[in-house]
Amino acid sequence: MAGGASGEPGPGAAAGIVVPETQEHLFKVLVIGELGVGKTSIIKRYVHQLFSQHYRATIGVDFALKVLNWDSKTLVRLQLWDIAGQERFGNMTRVYYKEAVGAFVVFDISRESTFEAVLKWKNDLDSKVQLANGIPIPTVLLANKCDQNKDNSHSPSQMDQFCKENGFTGWFETSAKDNINIDEAVRFLVENILANYKNFPNEDDVDKIKLDHTTLRAESKSQCC
Amino acid sequence: MADKLPSEFDVVVIGTGLPESIIAAACSRSGQSVLHVDSRSYYGGNWASFSFSGLLSWIKEYQEENNGEEWTAWQELILETEEGVALRKKDQTIQHVEVICYASQDSDEHVEEVGAVQKNPGSVTSASTNDPPDSMVTACSDTSELTTPLSEPEAAREVPDVDVTLGNENHGGDTDCSQSPLEQEKAGNLPVGEDVVDAPKKNRITYSQIVKEGRRFNIDLTSKLLYSRGLLIDLLIKSNVSRYAEFKNVTRILGYQEGNVLQVPCSRADVFNSKKLTMVEKRMLMKFLTFCLDYEQQPDEYKAYEECTFSEYLKTQKLTPNLQHFVLHSIAMTSEESTSTLDGLRETQNFLRCLGRYGNTPFLFPLYGQGELPQCFCRMCAVFGGTYCLSHAVQCLVVDKESGKCKAIIDHFGQRISAKYFIVEDSYLTEKTCSNVTYRQISRAVLITDQSVLKADSDQQISILTVPPVEPGSEAVRVVELCSSTMTCMKGTYLVHLTCPSSKKTAREDLESVVQKLFTPYAEAELENEELKKPNLLWALYFNMRDSSDISRECYNDLPSNVYVCCGPDGFLGNKNAVKQTGMYSCSMSSFWNSALPCAYKPTSGTTSSPKPSLILIFLLKFSQNTLDPSDTLLRNVFSRVLDLNSLSSATEMLWLFPPYLFSQGQHNSLHNRCLIKNC
Repeated sequence: MAGGASGEPGPGAAAGIVVPETQEHLFKVLVIGELGVGKTSIIKRYVHQLFSQHYRATIGVDFALKVLNWDSKTLVRLQLWDIAGQERFGNMTRVYYKEAVGAFVVFDISRESTFEAVLKWKNDLDSKVQLANGIPIPTVLLANKCDQNKDNSHSPSQMDQFCKENGFTGWFETSAKDNINIDEAVRFLVENILANYKNFPNEDDVDKIKLDHTTLRAESKSQCC
Repeated sequence: MADKLPSEFDVVVIGTGLPESIIAAACSRSGQSVLHVDSRSYYGGNWASFSFSGLLSWIKEYQEENNGEEWTAWQELILETEEGVALRKKDQTIQHVEVICYASQDSDEHVEEVGAVQKNPGSVTSASTNDPPDSMVTACSDTSELTTPLSEPEAAREVPDVDVTLGNENHGGDTDCSQSPLEQEKAGNLPVGEDVVDAPKKNRITYSQIVKEGRRFNIDLTSKLLYSRGLLIDLLIKSNVSRYAEFKNVTRILGYQEGNVLQVPCSRADVFNSKKLTMVEKRMLMKFLTFCLDYEQQPDEYKAYEECTFSEYLKTQKLTPNLQHFVLHSIAMTSEESTSTLDGLRETQNFLRCLGRYGNTPFLFPLYGQGELPQCFCRMCAVFGGTYCLSHAVQCLVVDKESGKCKAIIDHFGQRISAKYFIVEDSYLTEKTCSNVTYRQISRAVLITDQSVLKADSDQQISILTVPPVEPGSEAVRVVELCSSTMTCMKGTYLVHLTCPSSKKTAREDLESVVQKLFTPYAEAELENEELKKPNLLWALYFNMRDSSDISRECYNDLPSNVYVCCGPDGFLGNKNAVKQTGMYSCSMSSFWNSALPCAYKPTSGTTSSPKPSLILIFLLKFSQNTLDPSDTLLRNVFSRVLDLNSLSSATEMLWLFPPYLFSQGQHNSLHNRCLIKNC
């Protein structure tokens, strides 16, 4: 499992990157889908290798960070943005979508209604975020809880067709509980993001201002003149 | 959505404008359960920003008949011991919406905003070309409809393909002029992947290009800037909501004098680099600005003029009329007739103090538009567990007859949701509740233009311009011009916002004269002399927005004591009102809230032994409302965490338990006294 191997650098490995020609990327990836399809579980499984049956809404956290040693020259910092309490009613702020470069749309294989909502999420996503060149961000469909009984069976060829018709980059059957296909799915998405990135490198606007405490502190020192 | 809402929250917030969102975030951040609803399908209410197609549907909504009906179904849902306060079904804060399209629009062309209603991204590139007639998109047809009462668009549509040289100097030759309409259409329909605006073939921006690139627009309903040392910036930083937002510094302050747009020098460097000022003027201006920075230290300089207006005072200073004009209109941005010397000095000082914090001007503009800010606070609220429902209307507030307090709302599904506190945006209240309220109006114009009002080396300028009143008694017009790097308009265009308090009947009557001074309607562009050419107007929207700021609580009828009203945007440049009123009380109390809100935002870690900030917040609410009672269960809650309440001999002792950062000394004393009185 290549994704898994390179996906566990640990803090030590991340700090040890000193090779000068290493390229670092920061990618914001969204994880969206209906309530209870396992978005948080997927993130927890992927980032912390944990799984819990007990569902808890995500409080106080914007995203989980995973550092990937993609290859000898590439370091990828992956921000996985979970949706907060608001989203169960499907109303995302633009702040959430802003500057995302990839997305997972998750549904629960054991609840057909969550599959029906997939397109609603995909449309909302496409209407609120796009790459600099105007094309939709790469999006992977996750058929989660594949350890459970299917509510309605979609054959793999049907799923392929569905993805093609609706602009999904690909799809995976996953299980956060049994840790099936999650590393693979992430790896697949990151590959697509990197491919996009090579074709259309981000032009960074240097004049952007971020307000934060450091600016304040730095500024208050120089204020005496 | 199938999921039913929980039926109990601590706080219900109705409306997603900036003040409501700040309160929602503060409450959620301090551990209270928050339900935040908006009857509209978008965040921000009158603080929202829209893509071009989004704005067109907004326009359509407000041009429809609006009878302001009320909900009625709730009446069966309330008990005998209860009373209902109905809420408004349809917003009525926007009036006199007028749209004028000056850019050429080929009526037989079917265009739509890329991705706006796109169901199948795989076919995006072909979506906008050669579609069968049934794909005639609402955005396009709507607008031709809107423009029919006006004569300009006719002219605009008939414009032949004349070269109007839109920034492509080398391509503006004869070849381009002779380009057939067919080729034109093709050029306008380039696949999305390519940069339509930079295509060499194109020599001007058409309406269909604007529609197609519509997602590049983030058009604010309310045009404001942030003072770099203002309350909102403070709040953003303290609350850490700033991590969600990025800003650009406004790059230029412009003035308007004798028909010309000029750059106003305001920093030391600007003053000395200015070619427009003489050496003597430079010294005068520097001397005056230096004085303003700490004018309080030199009362002798202005004491004698305290009774005068600021403009009269300026005349007594050794400033040429030129400089007086700049200081009055572009730096202090105050009124010639009504601003007192002290207010003028204060405003000038505020301006100067804000200089240099983030750049050469005192102002910041949020990338993607002002509408980002409420959403940033909403996101914060949601991350800390707030529940969000847009397109979710509330029929009424349910008031308990006995206590006179609001206990619940009934939503449009008829579901009853109870809460302890209710925050309602002014526009949701019905005429019955607001019968004693007099609202002012703000006149707004939104323009899409093809050039800056003042050309410079860089085409990426963000400018603020104050156009002084044309005639005595009318109002100065504030103009904010945004370039494409603010992420609010497509490349090759500028988004221009005009704002002034209404004095005539409609926004168009108030603002059109200024628009005509600064811009040329697109159709007339060919007649203009190249050198003197003003920017071309491609598209314009006028509307009036209700200003519900500064309304005292007493003006609202039958407002239960635990219902707080937030106002919509005011006409001022800054966001002071929005942040201040999150206190929801009279001016004397608002400073209280400024200290209370950041407190609610303080990280909760390490404060296990002190009262929860949320409780302090409620305490402050009660205090400022004069309903503080030492035997209150809430207070009991607050203090039981720290000490056994019974061991306290008086409320005074409680007071000193509050962390000192919460209050300034003066406030602390006044709180102290009030507690004493209550206790007696």
